[in-house]
Amino acid sequence: MNPKRLWASMLIFVGVVGALLVVNIARDEHPALGLDLEGGVSVILAPDTEDATGEDLSFVRDLVRDQLESTGIAEPDVRVEGANVIVDLPGVRDQAEALEAVSVSGIVSLRPVLTCAGGTPDEAAGQSALPTLDGGTCIVGPSDATGEVFVRKSAGVDLVQGRWVVAVDLSNTGQNQWNALATQCYNGTAACPTTQLAIVLDDVIQSAPVVQTPNFPGSVQISGSFTEDEARSLADVLNRGAFPIQMVQERVETVSPTAGQDALNAAIISGLIGVALTLVYMTVYYRRLAVVIVAGLVVWAATVYLLATYVSQATNYAFTLAGATGVIVSIGITVDTYIVLFERLRDETRQGRSLANAAPRSFDATWKTILAANFIGLMSALILFWLSVGSVKGFALYVGITTICDLIVCWFFIRPAVLLFSRSRFANNGRAATGVTAPVGVPA
Amino acid sequence: MSDTAPNPVAISPTALGRAVNGQTAIDFIGRRKWGFGASLLLIVISIASLSIQGLNLGIDFAGGVSWDVPATNGFTIDDAEDVLADNGLSTEGARLQERSSDSTEFVKVQVGDQPAEVGAELRQQFADAAGVDVDEVNVSLVSASWGAEVTESAVRALVIFVILVAIYLSFRFEWRMAVAAIVAMLHDVVVAVGIYSLFQFIVTPPTVIAFLTILGYSLYDTVVVFDRVRENEARFAAQKPPYADVLNVSMNQVLMRSLNTSISSIVPVLSLLIIGAGVFGQATLSEFALALLIGMAVGAYSSIFIAVPLLGLLKANSSAWEGRNVPPAVGEALRDMVVRGDIGSRRTRAAAATARGDDVTDESADAAEPASVGTTPDSPTAKEAQSALKHQPRPRKKKRR
Repeated sequence: MNPKRLWASMLIFVGVVGALLVVNIARDEHPALGLDLEGGVSVILAPDTEDATGEDLSFVRDLVRDQLESTGIAEPDVRVEGANVIVDLPGVRDQAEALEAVSVSGIVSLRPVLTCAGGTPDEAAGQSALPTLDGGTCIVGPSDATGEVFVRKSAGVDLVQGRWVVAVDLSNTGQNQWNALATQCYNGTAACPTTQLAIVLDDVIQSAPVVQTPNFPGSVQISGSFTEDEARSLADVLNRGAFPIQMVQERVETVSPTAGQDALNAAIISGLIGVALTLVYMTVYYRRLAVVIVAGLVVWAATVYLLATYVSQATNYAFTLAGATGVIVSIGITVDTYIVLFERLRDETRQGRSLANAAPRSFDATWKTILAANFIGLMSALILFWLSVGSVKGFALYVGITTICDLIVCWFFIRPAVLLFSRSRFANNGRAATGVTAPVGVPA
Repeated sequence: MSDTAPNPVAISPTALGRAVNGQTAIDFIGRRKWGFGASLLLIVISIASLSIQGLNLGIDFAGGVSWDVPATNGFTIDDAEDVLADNGLSTEGARLQERSSDSTEFVKVQVGDQPAEVGAELRQQFADAAGVDVDEVNVSLVSASWGAEVTESAVRALVIFVILVAIYLSFRFEWRMAVAAIVAMLHDVVVAVGIYSLFQFIVTPPTVIAFLTILGYSLYDTVVVFDRVRENEARFAAQKPPYADVLNVSMNQVLMRSLNTSISSIVPVLSLLIIGAGVFGQATLSEFALALLIGMAVGAYSSIFIAVPLLGLLKANSSAWEGRNVPPAVGEALRDMVVRGDIGSRRTRAAAATARGDDVTDESADAAEPASVGTTPDSPTAKEAQSALKHQPRPRKKKRR
């Protein structure tokens, strides 16, 4: 409660934010903008078969989106158009990068291993020689089981007795297929003399585990001398599910923003006008206390900008129009923090306390309220971020950022500001000039 | 208040002044039927509208038609907008992009669900406008980019969110408050979606996102109100006032905060809608702003008129508070409690009321101690006034039930 410490808290905080902001502006960094504001690059995927059904394409659409998100490309816009799948990527600048990001072919098949000791495959019998990940070659037999036998997204890695294993669930229909193959291999029949079953992705053998039981009840555990990374990448292969059809990258297009700079400018200008109007109202209502609000909002805005810049650079979550409006909404919630506090101040002073006495009490009482209320906002942001996909995820991120900034600014800036204000001569001990206590019978 | 009480607080003569000075005496609980009634009506209308005409889904949910118009002869997005406008298709919910690859440059126009003949008809018009042969304009059907999976994931996130919020609120407050807050939130969802259905506003991903925000906002608003209720509960639990009094006093105390917050939240959004979408003509902004505006208005309403009265219903017969047989304080008696921040026991309230000459009937009060009429210093009113300036009595610890 030492005024020096309060001043220190406030000035250090403002100083740090200001310094970071100067650094940011000097380095010309700003939040990365999303598809709607900045455009991006689009990759057109076409099926290489004639008879791709709409269902197949929708399936591919979902697989592609999942895969892009798992590789850190945030908020892609993926849709089926005619017979093609169109993938719009925000924040990607050149063709090569886009093509690399959308290298999402991936037919997973399961084939019995005949031999890994050389020899020539009997192509007529459907055999082929395929490379393994470590550079060897194995001859594998034909099979019609594909990655579709696994339940999508069910694979995970686990540490069992000090060894990494990959566990994956089998789908209802897949179980019979898998077990038929497994029985063959377990018994070492002619079709599968090595008792190994190869998991093949795009004609590269990812893993060739030895089958140790003829019957798998709904799930499979693959163990081997995996490193953790190997186990994880195998799990990824199993998780991506099988593309029902092979997709080919047809062409790359650059995309202009749909909303663009005009929309962003309109959002910023109208947002600022809205905030200005709010501040005018607050000034009429809270008189001199409004100084704290204005200063607080400026500091808050700077903090949000800094965090948004940092996060969008670090995570690929671009700032979309959705994010912009999210920030505008959170202005209301941020101002509410002040309102809850100031209303409490007025209550306390009305009951006969001096302003200097009421300020710390009010802050302590309302801080709990502010924490509880903001905690809910933070919780919704976190859950949406973890569990949803696409633009919802990006939006949740910005809601989370603004909420965190609100709490930080409240504690490091508003608290000392209000406490110092309450003791200052400027506050006049809460007389009419502050809007804290209105003179009797006169609306403040 | 009596003149002998120190620091007399005069009641402001104007309604505005009373509101601003925290001197309102609105009987929220007594008027709960209005709030419940209005909400019931809204919910019925919402569900009826949803089942009859459903929602007007945008291209991202329902798919639509897409034209690729070559931009070789200087065809631009503005030209495309004109073609759409000439054919009475709204540009709201439509998506126009310039796309270019190594070989071609074209304008891609996507609009939401339209009958198949529109595709062919407009193909000709786009070709004419762009000065190219009709064969050069590709028409194709567009799938939803926002697949069922995205919706599912959002719904799953919501369900988990509700469960966690319920747990959190049950710990922080109590389960009844959690129930009331979440019912109010669900009410907001139904009504907001209903309004979208009723007026056939177009539903786009931004709309959905805005609605998700609103859920958090609705709960946030309710938590602030409930926090005050709980504080008053703790302060006056020992004196067992009727629970309706606790709620009424709390509501009147946070009324100005609710109003101010609503104003400061809604003004920026209104500005977005009127200036951003209206003056600047940015249709994209209206998609968000409209959903936010509706959601905020409904959310602010429900935290006052649904969540709190509902809490009153849930706790009406709780043994910790006086039962329903005691009428809640209204009028000047309520104002008195709000102004002094003291809910007190029945006795002091009745005494205060009689002292002021209100005709509040409270049979149970006189039986214990006939209230003295007048303003003698030892009258309960004066004593109350003095005590209001001291620290409030420490509440007795409640037994956990």
